Amino acid sequence: MSQRLRKQAVELDKNFRYEISQKIGAKSLLKCIQCGVCSSGCTVTEYVDLQPHRIVASCLLGLKEEVLSSQAIWTCSLCHRCTERCPKNVDYSFILALLRSMAAQEGRIPKEYSSSVITILENGFVIPYSEGMKKNIDKRRARLGLPEISGPNQNEIEFIYEETGLKELIKKTEVGK
Amino acid sequence: MDFAFFLGCTIPLKQPNLEKAFRDVCSILGINLKEMAGASCCPEPVSLQSLNIDTWLTLGARNLAIAEKMGMDVMTICSGCYETLKTVSVLLGEDPGHKAKINDILKKIKYEYRGDINVLHMVELFSQPQWLDKIKQSLVKPLDDFTFAVHYGCHLIRPSKIMRFDHPEKPERIDTILKTLGARTINFATKLECCGYCARLQDEIGEKLVEDKMTELCELEEDVDALIAVCPACVSQYDRKEKLIARRTGKEMNIPVLYLPEIMAVALGVALEDLNLTQRSVKPDKLIEKLTT
Ligand code: SF4
Ligand code: SF4
Repeated sequence: MSQRLRKQAVELDKNFRYEISQKIGAKSLLKCIQCGVCSSGCTVTEYVDLQPHRIVASCLLGLKEEVLSSQAIWTCSLCHRCTERCPKNVDYSFILALLRSMAAQEGRIPKEYSSSVITILENGFVIPYSEGMKKNIDKRRARLGLPEISGPNQNEIEFIYEETGLKELIKKTEVGK
Repeated sequence: MDFAFFLGCTIPLKQPNLEKAFRDVCSILGINLKEMAGASCCPEPVSLQSLNIDTWLTLGARNLAIAEKMGMDVMTICSGCYETLKTVSVLLGEDPGHKAKINDILKKIKYEYRGDINVLHMVELFSQPQWLDKIKQSLVKPLDDFTFAVHYGCHLIRPSKIMRFDHPEKPERIDTILKTLGARTINFATKLECCGYCARLQDEIGEKLVEDKMTELCELEEDVDALIAVCPACVSQYDRKEKLIARRTGKEMNIPVLYLPEIMAVALGVALEDLNLTQRSVKPDKLIEKLTT
């Protein structure tokens, strides 16, 4: 690992920290003091190639490629303990989500993430709800005396995917295939 | 009291018996749930927020706009939905510029998100003093002989600067509800550990977390009648993984996992046959036996 992180100053992307910090909810990145509290309480700390405080340090240093290609940004149980406990109020769990979206822009999307995004686009729900599936679910609900589900207009969901650029990303990276 | 009832996906489409238990509890307590026609997935916080935060914010704001039009606060019964909708409302509330940007998109499909309603989780409501009183008055079957372990899960309480819900390291609200039903709750080391459901890439993470918690509960001196959770993901994660681990390791793990409204419904007098408590991997046979004798 240390080998991989040994870089010349000229190879660093010094703007990477600002690329992140200007996004909604991510300004706090710049306040990190490298205390390591985030990593010590992290649920997945034994499973990642770069622990939380090292990801933050790498962002601040400008090690963009190392960060965006790390497996660590996708290995998170979303427990938010890092954000909760950081003495400097760094919102690490949110920053991690932003880093995932930056990696996604470059086409690096694990299928565990892309498949639910496609399911929501096609069904309005994160669980398939059409044709045979829908019939079974509706029957089961009726048996329990539960009201019918009046789901969203699919065109509206698709429109939001389009306007926010997610539709294009799906097309570009062919994750739907 | 009226609420815009946000169903989400997992409960209505996969675990409708949990929805039924919640509706039963509300009708006994006099809480009116109004259906949110046209609501979509919250959208779920793991994948969508990760791939494009604006898509996540806009779909979330669209759901909130539906409730705003109804003029009611939103009631959620899944911690994932709660996290998404509450975070969307807090982030957009703190950033008017971004809210305007999201509204520019929403206006084109005739929605507007103003930001003047609250997002609640059912636990938030039930643990308010007036509802605890109401629960106490409505008790049909006090759970005096029962001991439960509570699983708070993560999204309900953290990050506290957004959720503003309970103490992030020492929460009490679910324990308080269960005590009001007459039951005892225990403290244990792994009480605040995550269920691991959201760690998508490595199954082993979830398995380890479930095994740790269940092993601790099994080894306690006291018998625990059930693990009580408030999110469908946590419920199914513990229920399914517990069975898998027992099969793999040969360890006897027989702690049933119940959804808070299920046990509330029992205490409030809903018939056991109506709750389908046996529709899970770890059957709560002992608990049912104890309830019926
Ligand atoms: S806890 Fe906060 S300040 Fe400490 S290393 Fe982590 S992000 Fe930096
Ligand atoms: S949210 Fe993710 S990165 Fe933060 S402590 Fe939890 S598992 Fe670790």
